Amino acid sequence: MPFAGALVAAWLPTHARNAAAILASSVAGAALLCLMLLYPESGGIARTDIPWLPSLGVDIILRLDGLSWLFALLIIGIGALIVLYARYYMSAGDPVPRFYSYLLAFMGAMLGIVMSGNLVQLVVFWELTSLFSFLLIGYWHQSANARESARMALTVTAAGGLSLLIGILLLGQIVGSYDLDVVLAAGDQIRAHALYAPALLFILGGAFTKSAQFPFHFWLPHAMAAPTPVSAYLHSATMVKAGVFLLILLWPVLSGTDLWYGVVATAGMATLLIGAFGAIYQHDLKGLLAYSTISHLGLITLLLGLGSPLAAVAAIFHTVNHATFKASLFMAAGIIDHETGTRDMRKLSGLFRFMPITASLAMVAAAAMAGVPLLNGFLSKEMFLAEAIAHSAGTHTNYLLPVLATLASAFSVLYSVRFIHTTFFGPPPSECPRTPKEPPHWMRFPIELLVLICLLVGVIPGLTIGPLLASAVEAVMGDAAPAYSLEIWHGFTPALMLSLTALGGGVLLYALFGRRINNNPLGAPPVFHRFYARQAFDGFMSGLVEFAQRAERLLTTRQLQPQLRLLILAPLVVSLATALAAGGIVLAPQLQSIDPVFALMWIIGGACAVGAAHQAKYHRFAALVLMGVAGLVSCLTFIWLSAPDLALTQLLVEIVTTVLLLLGLRWLPIRLEELRSYSPASRLRAALRRGFDLAIAAAAGIGASALTLAVMTRPASEPISRFFVENSYAEAGGRNVINVLLVDFRAFDTLGEISVLAVVAITVFALLRRFRPAQESLGAPSQQVRQNAYDAASSTREVGQTLHEYMLIPRTLMQWLFPVITVFALFLFVRGHDLPGGGFAAGVTMSIAFILIYMGFGARWTETHLRVLPINWIGAGLLIAILTGAGAWVFGYPFLTSHFQYVDVPLVGRLPAATAMIFDLGVFILVVGATVLMLIALAHQSIRTPRQRAPEPAPVDADAAPAPEPKPEPPDSNESAP
Amino acid sequence: MEIVLALAIGVLIASGVWLLFRPRTFQVIIGLSLIAYGVNLFIFSAGGLRSGAPPVVDPARTDPSLYADPLPQALVLTAIVINFAMTALFLVVLLASRGLTGTDHVDGQEPDQ
Amino acid sequence: MSALSAHLVIAPIVLPLAAAALVVMIEQRALRVALSCAAMLGLLLLSFTLLIGAANADTALVYRLGDWPAPFAIVLVLDRLSAMMVALAATLAMATLIFSLARWDQAGPRFHALFLLLLAGLNGAFLTGDLFNLFVFFEVLLAASYGLVLHGSGAPRVKAGLHYIAVNLAASSLFLIGVTVIYGITGTLNMADLAARVPTLGGDQRALFEVGCAVLGVAFLIKAGAWPLGFWLPPTYSAASAPAAAMFAIMTKVGVYAIIRATSLFFGPDAGQIGAIANPILLTGGVLTIAFSVIGLLAARSFSRVAGFSVLTSSGAVLAVMGAGGQQALSGALYYMVSSTLAVGAFFLLIELLNRARGTTAPPIGAPVFDDEYRDPYEDGAPSEEVGVIIPAAIALISGGFIMCALLLAGLPPLSGFIGKFAMMKGLLEEQAAFAWALVALLTLSSFAALAALLRLGVEAIWASAEATIPRVRGVEFAAIAGLLLACVVLTTHGEWVFIFTDGTVDWLARSQDYVSSVLPEASPPPQGPPS
Repeated sequence: MPFAGALVAAWLPTHARNAAAILASSVAGAALLCLMLLYPESGGIARTDIPWLPSLGVDIILRLDGLSWLFALLIIGIGALIVLYARYYMSAGDPVPRFYSYLLAFMGAMLGIVMSGNLVQLVVFWELTSLFSFLLIGYWHQSANARESARMALTVTAAGGLSLLIGILLLGQIVGSYDLDVVLAAGDQIRAHALYAPALLFILGGAFTKSAQFPFHFWLPHAMAAPTPVSAYLHSATMVKAGVFLLILLWPVLSGTDLWYGVVATAGMATLLIGAFGAIYQHDLKGLLAYSTISHLGLITLLLGLGSPLAAVAAIFHTVNHATFKASLFMAAGIIDHETGTRDMRKLSGLFRFMPITASLAMVAAAAMAGVPLLNGFLSKEMFLAEAIAHSAGTHTNYLLPVLATLASAFSVLYSVRFIHTTFFGPPPSECPRTPKEPPHWMRFPIELLVLICLLVGVIPGLTIGPLLASAVEAVMGDAAPAYSLEIWHGFTPALMLSLTALGGGVLLYALFGRRINNNPLGAPPVFHRFYARQAFDGFMSGLVEFAQRAERLLTTRQLQPQLRLLILAPLVVSLATALAAGGIVLAPQLQSIDPVFALMWIIGGACAVGAAHQAKYHRFAALVLMGVAGLVSCLTFIWLSAPDLALTQLLVEIVTTVLLLLGLRWLPIRLEELRSYSPASRLRAALRRGFDLAIAAAAGIGASALTLAVMTRPASEPISRFFVENSYAEAGGRNVINVLLVDFRAFDTLGEISVLAVVAITVFALLRRFRPAQESLGAPSQQVRQNAYDAASSTREVGQTLHEYMLIPRTLMQWLFPVITVFALFLFVRGHDLPGGGFAAGVTMSIAFILIYMGFGARWTETHLRVLPINWIGAGLLIAILTGAGAWVFGYPFLTSHFQYVDVPLVGRLPAATAMIFDLGVFILVVGATVLMLIALAHQSIRTPRQRAPEPAPVDADAAPAPEPKPEPPDSNESAP
Repeated sequence: MEIVLALAIGVLIASGVWLLFRPRTFQVIIGLSLIAYGVNLFIFSAGGLRSGAPPVVDPARTDPSLYADPLPQALVLTAIVINFAMTALFLVVLLASRGLTGTDHVDGQEPDQ
Repeated sequence: MSALSAHLVIAPIVLPLAAAALVVMIEQRALRVALSCAAMLGLLLLSFTLLIGAANADTALVYRLGDWPAPFAIVLVLDRLSAMMVALAATLAMATLIFSLARWDQAGPRFHALFLLLLAGLNGAFLTGDLFNLFVFFEVLLAASYGLVLHGSGAPRVKAGLHYIAVNLAASSLFLIGVTVIYGITGTLNMADLAARVPTLGGDQRALFEVGCAVLGVAFLIKAGAWPLGFWLPPTYSAASAPAAAMFAIMTKVGVYAIIRATSLFFGPDAGQIGAIANPILLTGGVLTIAFSVIGLLAARSFSRVAGFSVLTSSGAVLAVMGAGGQQALSGALYYMVSSTLAVGAFFLLIELLNRARGTTAPPIGAPVFDDEYRDPYEDGAPSEEVGVIIPAAIALISGGFIMCALLLAGLPPLSGFIGKFAMMKGLLEEQAAFAWALVALLTLSSFAALAALLRLGVEAIWASAEATIPRVRGVEFAAIAGLLLACVVLTTHGEWVFIFTDGTVDWLARSQDYVSSVLPEASPPPQGPPS
């Protein structure tokens, strides 16, 4: 089909303008040929279905009846001419291939609209035309004007498309199908349906924006920033007709109601008058044509709005006529622009003697526009007037209609005359950039052809346009098609009177006001120039953005604290709501007796927690210690409640965490009480904020307690854990259920857990590679500074000696401790399967041993003496774990299936040897690697030497010192270790 | 017993949450750790409290009612490990942020009030 | 199920994990790249094999880890939904990895390891059938994502990362609490077992169970970035490096996935009143999220924020549609989720090029401050700032890509974004879902907002700066973006397949009892045991 052909051709790589033009015209020609072949015999509908999304009731249906054939003819025919014309119009500098590709793509999309037999498909192509018109308007995107106009056009039309989509959705819901033929058959059902009104309005929203009906007409004049061929093609002949086409298409099903009449006719009339009135005052040729286009579109819409079949016929007829003469006028304007270099009617005059042929062509076309007899414009306009009269005759309320109609026609006569007179007559142009001359013949040819058509249709309508029109009309109205005659001479009908009046009136008006209009500085109608569309539009858009930004500032926050507050509040509220909705939760605990020691223990623990909360700002170290105590208490709790594994792990993790935090403290800024003095107002605010936080915190605590109590005392369903206890020894060969759970039953969790560890270690390492300490914390900590100062002071000591001696004892201790701890770690590991312990605990213990070494001997010594590459350990550990799991595949078992037996090892005794232990080994290695890596990376910072800037001399006062703690922190002790 | 533990969890979480809302990164990390303690105890408590149950199963007597519910303990272990990792990560990030932005405020800049 | 295919189920998790373990230990960059790419490719093929398998089988493929019986140990469950998510993740990841080869994988040590681990976490979260295991894998992917957010370091990333981590740590605690409550009440962690036990819960237990679910749901909503819990999302995403951000496009979907899974299992048709509580929350959350994203889109001043808010739009849409109910709409929502994820991913990658074209680059890469005696042997050299060669048509290609992304994000015809939105609207209207009108209006609004924002930014970025420096772009970068967009085109042209699949998925989700019976062959609601 032509649509496919055009789209395919559009994306071909094309280089020279000739090549592009030839390609484009050949495509158009081919399309035309196809179209001719497809000429539907009366009433015949060519239809091709291509399944696309049947489940959504959306298929690609190409459908060609009389109406769409007529439109397709317009699109392709004029398109071909435009292609030819553009070849000469576009300057060699422009990237013409892009232009042609857009143009062809547009042609394809447009054909898609008129030929689509599925409403959704129609919407698709609809938006596509908007898109390509956007690209074409913005073709000269160097100029800000073009950019803005393109933006406006796309925003308006695309928004219209969205509204159309909704309308179509409703329509589809009413009818139950998006197939056009089905919809067309269901006219009464639609009009009767409750959703008719919204559907109609949304669809009209789409149609009106597209074909620039009031109040959406403003984008069209700005679209004239596009190259003239584009204006001629899109914005007079085809795209703006899409809306009209849609109205005609759905005319049978939607029209005939008061709502339709009220909205469509009114909008049409308003557009007709405003457009005509605005056109009068334009000084820009294209501006004038644009406004007249608007008014003619209004005329067509009005005709459709009237709702009588004859009016519809007139509408279709006028659509065709308008396309022909307006396209030719645009091209003429383009020629004038091209040859003289200006489009300003105040500068132009007397071009007749320079370009007689073009001038006479333009004159004929303009005459057609004005509706002079023997031209096609006359016929359709007369039908229009006749309809106006007929309609007003029916309803006595509005004799207004014919009057306004006549007035509008008079206006159109007026601006046509003005167009001709100012441009072609009068003295030779004085201030033209170029001296005008006739354009090359082939550039003029399209106009000649179109004007010829105007004449033919005007003189012998029956032979030329007659059959096409007939088939189109039949396609729309079926057998309900009214009898109409395309005779030129109907005798002295009132319509003829009116049109003669209009002609005379128009000329008269020009004679009277012409001068004033031509000298009107505004180039816009006296009243209307106040509402300058673009400003309004831009104002609207920027207002929208403004509003949105304010709203966003209101609705979101970039700070962390409010987010966290919400984060805690949300679950509280939600869960409370849920609990209430579920009829509340009764706390009916059957409690065990309270053990005083336990209680006391937790009184301490709680106190420590609160203390930590209180101290954390100013006395970090104290807070750390308190937190540690709280942690210890929970360790004790675990022991108390018979969970030795937990206690062990908790304790070890506790230690490592604390060390990490200690290492970190060194880099945090010193914070003294009352950092700065607040104003009382901010004090109050702070107090309120803290109160609020306290409330939330308390609520959270209470909620947690309640939840705990509820869960603990709830008779739970039979838990799955019984299985583990029963099978731990029998099936998995381990007596320590916890460990068996970790390495066997739920080993997959452990796998995930160690990979978390690995990721974190890697991340920490990667981050610290780029670590950048704050200036003031670069210096050595105060204690060390003092020591060194002391050393320096006394002659017998060298710097760092004090620290050296100070660390002597611990160092030796640790030297001794290291092997012991290592052994302990291995012990933990081995017994893990049966007694409390296991890979993780062992790993952490091992890494503690490394920490000790670090503390004692300093990073340099350690890193030089024991060559650990923790990264490798991580990788290896992970790999071992995975391979152990995958080993089961060999035996055809699922991942992580473990096998075990007990082996007798001399001296050690009976040991469980389960493959799970190899897995555990992987865990062990990885944990050691990860922990050590983190510690090294962190501890290492203190002995690194900044690259850019040398460390500033460490100030002796306490400001630069880390948080106040008396004892030297491990990392800093490294600094002067040998 | 349950009351005490519940209250303990409440206190831990409350002080943690309070710290969570404070503007200094160090406070936040302490808060997160406290919350973690609370949550761990909470998970643990979900299995019901038993004092004095044997830590390991005796192959002869595998009646579940003799032992504490092992599953929550396993979960707690996993949780502890993950939490440890996250704490370390957060610590490093806050150090980096303090180094790069020059402040230890959670938003990387002192509040302008 | 044949033994082979049975083992295939776990491969999406193990493969990247093992590859990561190796990558960590390899020294030469070339080798590392080769390895991770190979693993990625394998993963891609694998995931699609699984997808096809799942599409044909009308049951769930269950993998019992450690060969222990179902409700007790951990199981992996591969059904249509999880297979879809895994395939989606693999597709996105493949493109992202290719893209990052040009520049980003050298911006910091061990990009590949983090990347692979992230994938392992994602797939684990999608595949697991055990609530606590879900938590573990959430942590895996979160940890990796922390690493990726911070990848390249630099002040803005660290700042954003701090917030991101803090928020997610808090969320994880919520997650744990929720899981614990659920276990404490039902005494099981296996999702299928849960689904079987839920109906047997007594009134008081049920109330507690609902509380647990509520807490859990909040945690998920945080991950999904629902308003008002999603404030962390846009800043984080716009600060992250391009590949990280692209991967994040799917990470919010993990939260969405979890919600879909949980609601369909626990709050299914036979769960009675609980659904009545879940849906309004989802609906309001989703609606608010979309509304917020509309505002954010209109207000956005940079591409990356537009992209971030588009992420919100998509997850919000899915949530809202779930809350509103309706099979067809949900199927449309799934389709939309797939398409939007790919589109946003492509857009995030494209932004990098756009910014490069405008000379404004992403947040700079923090330079190492110390010259170290302690060198990391596996450190890559600093990334070469001058990337790639000048491709003459670069601008044109970028503009084309941008237009496609714009169409996709705004849900305008003819690309898949439109189809997704259309399907959702149609479903909502036809099934007379709750607040169908409000939702349709919102979706349309969001389309308009995205269009307006992209127009505003795009016109000035691409057209106004016609004299902009032609960016130096690697072929691979275009290849990556093109691949993603191509996937979207395929979604468009062969949408019917996708819809058949998603319809099947929705239908399958509705039959939670089938899920249960496929996981627990001898599924029988356990008796109300005595307090243990």
